[in-house]
Amino acid sequence: TLAKKIKENKMSNLVEEYFEAHSSSKVLTSDRTLQKLRKRRLDQQTLHDLLKKAPLAYATEIKELNQQHESLFSKWMLQLHLGFNIVLYGLGSKRDLLEKFRTSVLQDSVHLVVNGYFPSITVRSILNSITEEVLDHTGTFRSPLDQLEFIIKRFKEDSSLELYVLIHNLDSQMLRGERSQQILAQLSSLPSIYLIASIDHINAPLMWDQAKLSLYNWLWYETTTFSPYVEETSYENSLLVQQSGSLALSSLTHVLRSLTLNARGIFRLLAQYQLENKDNTSYPGLSFQDFYQQCREAFLVNSDLTLRAQLTEFRDHKLIRTKRGADGVEYLLIPVDDSTLTDFLEKEDEDV
Amino acid sequence: QQIQEDLNKQLFDNLVSFLRRSHSGFQEKTTEWTCQMKSREIPTAALVLGNFFKIYFVMHICLKLTQRSKKNILLISSNYCEQYQFQKCIKNLMQKLMGQLMNCYIDVDSLEDEDYAQVSQNRIRCSMSSLINWYESVTKKTDSETPRKKRTSSSRHCQSPPVVVIFKDMESFTTKVLQDFIVISSQHIREFPLVLIFGIATSPMIIHSLLPHSVSSLLCIELFQSLSSKEHLSTIIDKLLLTARFPFKLGEKVLQVLINIFLYHDFSVQNFIKGFQLCIVEHFYSQPLSILCCQLVDAKKRVNSLSHNQCENIRRLPSFRRYVESQASEKQIALLTTDSYLKEIIQKLLEDLHVYHENYILVLRCLHVFTSSLPKYPLGKQIRELHCACLENQVWETEEYESSLQLARMLNKSDLVTMLQQCVEIFVSSSGKEFDKTVEKLKEFLTQFQKLEDAFQERDVSVSSQKELQKKTDLYHLQKTLLELKESRRSKKLTKFEMLRFEVVDCIDSLVRNYLVPADRKTLHEIVYFNTASVLREHLNAAPRIALHTALNNPYWYLKNQALKSDGGSISNKAPDICIVYKLHLECGRLINLVDWLEAFSTVVMAVEGPNADAASSDQVDDVIHARFIRAVSELELLGFIKPSKQKTDHVARLTWGGC
Repeated sequence: TLAKKIKENKMSNLVEEYFEAHSSSKVLTSDRTLQKLRKRRLDQQTLHDLLKKAPLAYATEIKELNQQHESLFSKWMLQLHLGFNIVLYGLGSKRDLLEKFRTSVLQDSVHLVVNGYFPSITVRSILNSITEEVLDHTGTFRSPLDQLEFIIKRFKEDSSLELYVLIHNLDSQMLRGERSQQILAQLSSLPSIYLIASIDHINAPLMWDQAKLSLYNWLWYETTTFSPYVEETSYENSLLVQQSGSLALSSLTHVLRSLTLNARGIFRLLAQYQLENKDNTSYPGLSFQDFYQQCREAFLVNSDLTLRAQLTEFRDHKLIRTKRGADGVEYLLIPVDDSTLTDFLEKEDEDV
Repeated sequence: QQIQEDLNKQLFDNLVSFLRRSHSGFQEKTTEWTCQMKSREIPTAALVLGNFFKIYFVMHICLKLTQRSKKNILLISSNYCEQYQFQKCIKNLMQKLMGQLMNCYIDVDSLEDEDYAQVSQNRIRCSMSSLINWYESVTKKTDSETPRKKRTSSSRHCQSPPVVVIFKDMESFTTKVLQDFIVISSQHIREFPLVLIFGIATSPMIIHSLLPHSVSSLLCIELFQSLSSKEHLSTIIDKLLLTARFPFKLGEKVLQVLINIFLYHDFSVQNFIKGFQLCIVEHFYSQPLSILCCQLVDAKKRVNSLSHNQCENIRRLPSFRRYVESQASEKQIALLTTDSYLKEIIQKLLEDLHVYHENYILVLRCLHVFTSSLPKYPLGKQIRELHCACLENQVWETEEYESSLQLARMLNKSDLVTMLQQCVEIFVSSSGKEFDKTVEKLKEFLTQFQKLEDAFQERDVSVSSQKELQKKTDLYHLQKTLLELKESRRSKKLTKFEMLRFEVVDCIDSLVRNYLVPADRKTLHEIVYFNTASVLREHLNAAPRIALHTALNNPYWYLKNQALKSDGGSISNKAPDICIVYKLHLECGRLINLVDWLEAFSTVVMAVEGPNADAASSDQVDDVIHARFIRAVSELELLGFIKPSKQKTDHVARLTWGGC
């Protein structure tokens, strides 16, 4: 009963911790932001370069771990053939391990590698690659379900067909949906399709219910590798990395390089004006009339129309944003951080 | 591997046949019923199935088979992927229904190819009226064509075969679609006889909560109950583990794990079987001596062809070493040096083991007969619990066994007689000669009881009336009083009946002591018993979160580097980046400021490089640390520990709780 009591205590502690963490809506953290850190944001490329410089800690131990996992390969093959499917979990990227498995064991057999971490992967593309590459079927299907039915039929008819499917990150954003999991589970329940997948997310097992689990027929293997998630995180939009969705300095310069001299001047003017007013929190942006006036004075445009055409081009490239103020006047803004803008202007000055 | 596959196959055949048997009665009921049904309402059978899906897949197939053989019923089973479409809209439902129906019918009657064209044509535009038209044409066709149908039509009773639609998973349907479908088809029930079968996972209440009264009044529901999965489990254990047919056995811990997974997690017989399979695979893969795990005749052959290395393997077995130590010294030498002598001994030992198993099962069943009728079930109600207890320890040393014997000594006569009869049956059913003596003994007991009964009748009732009365009532309440009575009566001479009773119990006791020795006391038990429960737990019931937690909290567990050795809570600055970041994140509340986090990280990391980093390269180092931090944070995000938060700029939200 003592052990039970301790367990109970632990339980209640956990519960208390949960409510403690979520009770107060007020969160005590400092107000510092990355902006004030005076440090330029890194983009994907420089990050990659920098990380290459940093040595990987404990390389020998990691290698040892990997060798341990590699010794299981033959066992995996046996179990795959007996109708189980294998799922790998644990800390660290399992990509290299699966690659190794592929190159060392699956060399001669038909196999399909699915990069789940790739942000635009869909179940449809997986099914397509099966029908087109493996089954040599050229034809379209109305829905993935029809396609699945076709695949199942073909595999059942032809017992000589065998397919190994390796899925990196089965729990990635694109594949974690109910529907896609259902389809994958159905695929994996076919006796001649052998599935090896890896999962990383802590809540990954939540996506499978009883029915799916029995279709998947998993055997779990812990493969903690400690190797960094290089490929996997390269698509993860982190807060600290310049995101491709918003404007990065590189893309800003890239677009502006391709413009005419006058157009660049126009953008510069707007940027300068915005920087001058950066401390003014209520700054709504430059109104179109004022902007036109300024551009005329700098001999950048000669008519209302040309400026409008120019601004449309900017807007298409998402370089500027227009906002209507309370008085109905159009205001122009550059939706980029001030620091990036400053960097940009400095660079421009160097070029000129 | 050959053996293994054989075993697997054997196992599966057994299982399938068992499942078929257990469902066949149930099916017959349903099929009978569907034949009879004819009324204005849509006849509906609601099958209450437990929450294990796979098994009733098998059942559906069986159902299909039996109905195919009768051939006057059409059957549509919706499989999973179609279910999704079913859920979406009524149009899809109708379409699928139609396609399957026609396909099915063509399968059954193997009509000409032109009908296939018709099918694909109809797939495009399906409506109830076209369905009915088709149905009429088909029935007409079959009426004229096949003699079998003619027979049914001539009887004019069930001239049109009803169409059966099976909804496998009632709970997952959208109510709207289901309602519409029922309403539509109920209007056409005259022309298009339809029978619905619902597969229900929870309880029949669901029908009423899913369907409003107006719809459910259109149905004529009959309820069918299937066996609960617990009963399935006990039969499976009975058939698989408690027979001498399969040479492969499960150890106590493994069995315990499997049963626990079943009872506490999923109630899925499917998973139990899967676990059992895994055990077999694991056993034959890892244990080099498992080649001897087969029928006795084969095993003997294989023993003769053992290589020297395999003999060495046998010598290395702990149970064999124990055996050797108990032998005389010259015998020891012979066992350890000459292979041929060893082989002889092994054959004998294997035979022993085999005999042990046969006896074990019989005696176990016997003991079960006794203990399962005792009040409060000190040794468990089910035979599997008894089996576990016997495997775990020497069962006669446990308290539970003591108390059950105590209770058994107080049994009344009629119970005792029936039990003895059952035991005799068990022994007789076995072919072994070992028990002739015991059977005889038991029979003798029985006859003695007969005589005793006669004697009792002759005797005056008044003397023993009080005692008899007490015995007829509940045993449990009487235990105390009887004990007291026994105390007081100790001085008295025991009656003949009581003497006999003690004798019987002692006999059973001696049986138990002789034959229910736990398996790991036996020599060479490693060959047939699989006992590594950790493997099973790891592969079937894995805990990815625990693995992640230990890897992040205590990397020394995986990376055997002395530098990583540290005690619990503190942050070691030599740990991998992600571990440091994780530890720092544990110290925070719900929201984490990225800047502070970064700074804390760099302080920790700098402490390592501190002395040798000079001022000139500090900027460079800073960048590298920044980059490492970014990598670690994005890894944590990938693992699902944090997510970006919009509440405050440059903050992330923690998704886990607790920690330091």
